[in-house]
Amino acid sequence: MAVSAPALHDALADIAGREHVLREPAALAAHAIDAMRPAAVVCPANAEEVGRVLALCAAERLAVVVRGRGSSLALGNPPRRLDVVLELSRLAAVRDYVPEDMVATVEAGVTLGALAAHLAPQRQMLALDPPNGDGRSVGGVLATNASGPLRFRYGTGRDLLLGARFVQADGALTWGGARVVKSVTGYDVPKLLVGSLGTLGVIVEATLRLHPQPPATRSWWLGFPTHDRARAFLAALLDSPLQPDRAALIDAGGLRRAGLPADPFAFLLSIGSVAEAVADQGQALERLALAHGGRSQGLAESAWTTLGQVLNGPILLRLACEPRRLLERMAGAQAMAGRLGVEAAVVAQPGHGVAWIALSGSPAPAQVVREVTQLRRALEPEGGSLVLERAPSGLKAEAEAWGDINPEILRIMKRLKSEFDPGDLLAPGRFVGRL
Amino acid sequence: MALPSHILRALEGIVGPGGLVVSPEGLLTYECDMHTFYKGAPDAVTLPQSAGQVAEIVRLCRHEHVPIVPRGSGTGLIGGAMAPVGGVMVSMTRMNRILELDWENRCATVEPGLINLWLSQATRERGYFFAPDPSSQMVSSIGGNASTNAGGPHCLKYGITVNHVLGLEVVTGAGELVRLGGKTHERPGYDLTGVMVGAEGTLGLVTSVTVRLTHVPEGVKTILASFSTIEDASETVSAIIRAGIIPAALEMLDEVVIRAIEEGIGAGYPKGAGAVLLIELDGPVAEIEAQSGPIEAICREHLALEIRVAKSEAERALLWKGRKEAAGVFGRLTPNWLLQDAVVPRSKLPAIMRELQDIGARHRVVIANVFHAGDGNLHPLICYDDRVPGELERAKQANDDLLHACLRLGGSVTGEHGVGLDKSQSLPLQFAPADLNFMARLRRVFDPDSIMNPGKLLPSHPACGEGFRPAARPLPAGTWI
Repeated sequence: MAVSAPALHDALADIAGREHVLREPAALAAHAIDAMRPAAVVCPANAEEVGRVLALCAAERLAVVVRGRGSSLALGNPPRRLDVVLELSRLAAVRDYVPEDMVATVEAGVTLGALAAHLAPQRQMLALDPPNGDGRSVGGVLATNASGPLRFRYGTGRDLLLGARFVQADGALTWGGARVVKSVTGYDVPKLLVGSLGTLGVIVEATLRLHPQPPATRSWWLGFPTHDRARAFLAALLDSPLQPDRAALIDAGGLRRAGLPADPFAFLLSIGSVAEAVADQGQALERLALAHGGRSQGLAESAWTTLGQVLNGPILLRLACEPRRLLERMAGAQAMAGRLGVEAAVVAQPGHGVAWIALSGSPAPAQVVREVTQLRRALEPEGGSLVLERAPSGLKAEAEAWGDINPEILRIMKRLKSEFDPGDLLAPGRFVGRL
Repeated sequence: MALPSHILRALEGIVGPGGLVVSPEGLLTYECDMHTFYKGAPDAVTLPQSAGQVAEIVRLCRHEHVPIVPRGSGTGLIGGAMAPVGGVMVSMTRMNRILELDWENRCATVEPGLINLWLSQATRERGYFFAPDPSSQMVSSIGGNASTNAGGPHCLKYGITVNHVLGLEVVTGAGELVRLGGKTHERPGYDLTGVMVGAEGTLGLVTSVTVRLTHVPEGVKTILASFSTIEDASETVSAIIRAGIIPAALEMLDEVVIRAIEEGIGAGYPKGAGAVLLIELDGPVAEIEAQSGPIEAICREHLALEIRVAKSEAERALLWKGRKEAAGVFGRLTPNWLLQDAVVPRSKLPAIMRELQDIGARHRVVIANVFHAGDGNLHPLICYDDRVPGELERAKQANDDLLHACLRLGGSVTGEHGVGLDKSQSLPLQFAPADLNFMARLRRVFDPDSIMNPGKLLPSHPACGEGFRPAARPLPAGTWI
């Protein structure tokens, strides 16, 4: 760090006001990233202040990690350096919302819960429901490309982010994308920002595609005795004209933690549509489950929010595989937990080949590293991946949070990173290939 | 500029004599896309048959500082697949195979030259289709669709091309042959696939595309509602969306277009109506049955003259035929036209339609409309006759006024056709210098020597309006070139 801590605090206070710069040891410890303490935490009030903070950091060559609401900071490698934590919780305004357009422009620090409350009177929604999502910020959800059961029908942030205002590493306030639902004017810059973990720029404002809330919704729990039967049911569901809007596939470990009937595998599915179609499709869904050796029962709406609790715990892995291999990968995850001598809870996004594996207990780090390495090797031929979404810092340092990616593609990503963050100041070392 | 013989020999070495076009009459075929206003023949056209050949062409051109222009079926409307400064065109028409239909993963991998509709035809028997349906889908290629991020009537419900692309194999402007994304739905790292889709060949050449296959809906219902005025039709569109119903497609045709279609191909649209809405619902039968009642009620509330529901697949196909082939009857309307693709927020549709009529009157030009009303994507067709002195100028003024009006309402320059040469100078209307600078730097990351499709997508590219200068100029942050 080129400047002294007091000088930094003064400079940040000039931008955001003294009460919005944290410098006490306890506050800094509370904002540590992978046990690395920043020299300061700054909470700017708006996009312009974010721009001035980043311009200051660029001039003084200070490393910055962005924080939304602090719920997903475990994702990513430990930073190579850290001077300033830039917290966006004060950017919490819904800037523009025209219900007839089904588009909203919100500041990055708005939580999904607050946004949902804002949209509910118009019976509209942002179709993103990552685990524990209510308290997560829009900017954080986009930067981590977090999604949940609604992905089944509506996709991820990649499909819902129409435009973004962001601040580049040099402090330049920049806009990419559009404020309308359809635009191909210039490059699709928002795609570049989704999932980039604040390493290319800091999202300060998002223009989002909204959807109407379905007039009626019902949910089902569909349990299956074996992974073969669950797999056959999933294939039949995907090959049917049924249109669930939310889908999760959970194994017995996860079901136990959620307090749901713990068949070896169960799907949680909901149908959102007009009442007639909900009833009609619900019956078809139950028939389909029965025909594949499953059983069904109604599911309370509140069950969906328990998924976040299922995934709490010290180690959370995120696996992506070819969609057709999902069930066998879930079974593999349980076998892995057995070898580690811990319990696993697996929650998956059926149809997408994505699964979270939550490990409880404290398995031996060296053994976890070995298992992670082996599983990554097994996933590599199909283009799969295994990300340590949450893990003790030591484990992440050892196993690399993201896993290896193709060296030729990494080369392009490195060029992107050095073009847009030439000083290597935005979350240095946190992203793939230690970018 | 003619290419030196050693480059022509090298190209022939890569693609073989049957894969190289250099004769002046042969090159003429490639001098424009469907926007015939912009003409520029390449110095040579290559027709590669593999990704390896494409990579060799790019590496050669990079080494020789020769511009590259990609081309699919040439059905674009933006001055995209044409060569304003010459160079080597890479036509994908010989790379048109379906490489794999992966039913278990519900995706397909195809070569870029494959015709859009062929994929849906190949998958329909198993209950699947490829959702992006640009009106050109009978002739346009999937590589072209991906490069322009094409839309279509049904993208109102199903999303545009990028929402369906899982992966790409590309040759970047730097000559790298890489596979981005693929059958797995997410990967760590930047979403290079998402950036490459819609880049109009300015970042690289697409050599294969992996796309999501969508299950065909259980039922379809097509409703045609006619109105005496375009205002009533526009208000109806807003009211349907406001009611929380997103149809699969929601298209509008105005009086001028209806008349031309009826005189041309006879799709059974009511003659004399001021506007027609083509509304399609698809999905579970119970859902579309429950939604069609409220839609018909909304149409009646807005003084629909007639509401007709297609009773058979044949009738449905005929209603769509008029819409999809509308461009083909434009020749009946006017010798020449300018076509816009601007977007307005959905709620501004009635306002922009009123303004459009004013603009037409002000500049004394006929403006015909056939467009994707549900997502506010206009396609005004500004008619003129270039044999009449002053008409082109008036048409251009109307075009400019219209674009500015859309942007004033919070819209966008292009909704689905893309930028190409046609709209590259309009980007500064929508983006600030810092935004354009970011995009120019993004381009440089993939195309360090500025050889990829010069003059397209961004304004003031070194190639635009002057001799092509491939030298990589430094591009400091805070400016754009």
